[in-house]
Amino acid sequence: MIDLEKLTISQARQGLKNKEYSAVELTTAYLDKIKKIDSNIKSYLWITEDLAIKQAALADEMIAKNTDLPLTGIPCAIKDNIMVRGEKCTAGSKFLENYIAPYDATVIEKLKHQGAIFLGKTNMDEFAMGSSCENSAYFPTKNPHDLERVPGGSSGGSAAAVAANLCLFALGSDTGGSIRQPASFCGVSGIKPTYGTVSRYGVIAFASSLDQVGPIAKNSKDCQTVFEAIRGKSKNDSTTIDFPDSKKDWEIKGLKIGVPKEYFGQGLDPEIEKSIKQALDFYKQNGAEIIEISLPYTDYALACYYIIAPSEASANLAKFDGIRFSEIKKMAETEDLLDFYLQNRSLGFGKEVKKRIMLGTYTLSAGYYDAYYKKALQVRTLIKNDFEQAFKKVDLIMGPTSPVLPFKINEKADDPLAMYLSDVYTVAVPLAGLPGMSIPCGWTKNLPIGLQLIAPAFKENLIFETADFFEKNYGLRTN
Amino acid sequence: MISEEIVKKIAALSYLKIEENELKKFEQDFSSILEYVNKLKELDTQAIEETAGMAHHSNIFRADQPEVFANQDLLDLMPRRKDNYLEVKKILNND
Repeated sequence: MIDLEKLTISQARQGLKNKEYSAVELTTAYLDKIKKIDSNIKSYLWITEDLAIKQAALADEMIAKNTDLPLTGIPCAIKDNIMVRGEKCTAGSKFLENYIAPYDATVIEKLKHQGAIFLGKTNMDEFAMGSSCENSAYFPTKNPHDLERVPGGSSGGSAAAVAANLCLFALGSDTGGSIRQPASFCGVSGIKPTYGTVSRYGVIAFASSLDQVGPIAKNSKDCQTVFEAIRGKSKNDSTTIDFPDSKKDWEIKGLKIGVPKEYFGQGLDPEIEKSIKQALDFYKQNGAEIIEISLPYTDYALACYYIIAPSEASANLAKFDGIRFSEIKKMAETEDLLDFYLQNRSLGFGKEVKKRIMLGTYTLSAGYYDAYYKKALQVRTLIKNDFEQAFKKVDLIMGPTSPVLPFKINEKADDPLAMYLSDVYTVAVPLAGLPGMSIPCGWTKNLPIGLQLIAPAFKENLIFETADFFEKNYGLRTN
Repeated sequence: MISEEIVKKIAALSYLKIEENELKKFEQDFSSILEYVNKLKELDTQAIEETAGMAHHSNIFRADQPEVFANQDLLDLMPRRKDNYLEVKKILNND
């Protein structure tokens, strides 16, 4: 019997190498556990059992031949907006209910090359639009630490699956906080890498100037292992770039940590504030320098995001018309092509998606473009400059990931603005194209609190080292 | 500032059909979101450049060579098809 509760990627690799168990046995243990407990949490939309068993057998061969790589035999979960050839890929939408991915996303190719094992596809807010997983067209996912609460979103299924020990890591995607906020809500680690480090080919697009794929895992070192496996220049996503390794000697002594005063304002839960300040104290006691900084345009980041992301989404989602794939079957007889489009799109998209498509159409439309879209692009420059100025003084920035604790299911369902406000600390990072990570830093009763680490572009390693130091020395209970 | 008329107009531009009984809710939601994003108007951005994307480089060139997508799965996804052609409703009338 393999104990999955505390298992990490590095430990599982040891277990596989030492022949304590095979990849098939490890995979079967996860599949059994998913079947046993995921009916309560609902982190997976479906499992890909046949594929997983086949991959596990291949992984065992790689191990036997000593051709194994850092993720060989490691069972993982994939957010359902990432295509795995031959498996369903719905992005949490009814529109794509019967869509079978015709090719592998680049990140999937890379994981297959490593010999990683895909257990299933995880639940998400439809087309990654949401902060709670309640916008999934299928069912809401529950927070494993409190089944009455949300796991966060949009990669809520991925974060919940990791937190409930139903995989060793999961891939998510982050546009405005969709990896970091659910990682925070579920008490696990998740990183949104620098824009351009990970290919989006084969990932269903939401807002292309912001979207980035990244890992969610039980600790920062595991995240690093996955990040190293999936990053790199790819010919099918021309925004990707090869970048020099930022690896260099890391030392806690003299590390300059910037703490933006704007991240501790109105709306921050006092329990979260307390926990973040304790974490900062810990770094200080170990020799880091804590420096108060200002990111003056923080207050405008959310408004900027909620113009830019819907604008891009309205263009990206224009391709869903039911012609080339995914015709909605329950549609009434259509009069003409326009009627066909209208019926497909109206039946296929859920409410939040329709709302954002329309919002984006409005902010891009004649007469409003300058006042909204152009204005938001200018404010984006100001937000980017904020960080550039800050990084002249500090090595990295820390603050809370979310202003609120995981909220109850349905609590914010009727108030779109209240829901959007839970992204207030995460949206600026993708607007500036930076890497940002959330790691667990405390608990209030049974609910986890996340610490956000933000670094200059391509300095993921600085984040990993700084997070790892905390995880190894702070002595936080794991759940 | 948002009326039901505007909601209907944006819906038409978005190729979406909104039911009569949903108009009110969309109108309310748009109004509250737009009221919030209007705070950007407080900022004077006249001399500020726009940041449209985060790409670290531009003008990526490659040879202009077609690649054949060599699997049948893409065709199998087509809802209506004759042989290997996609079937769509006609868009021109006979008259």
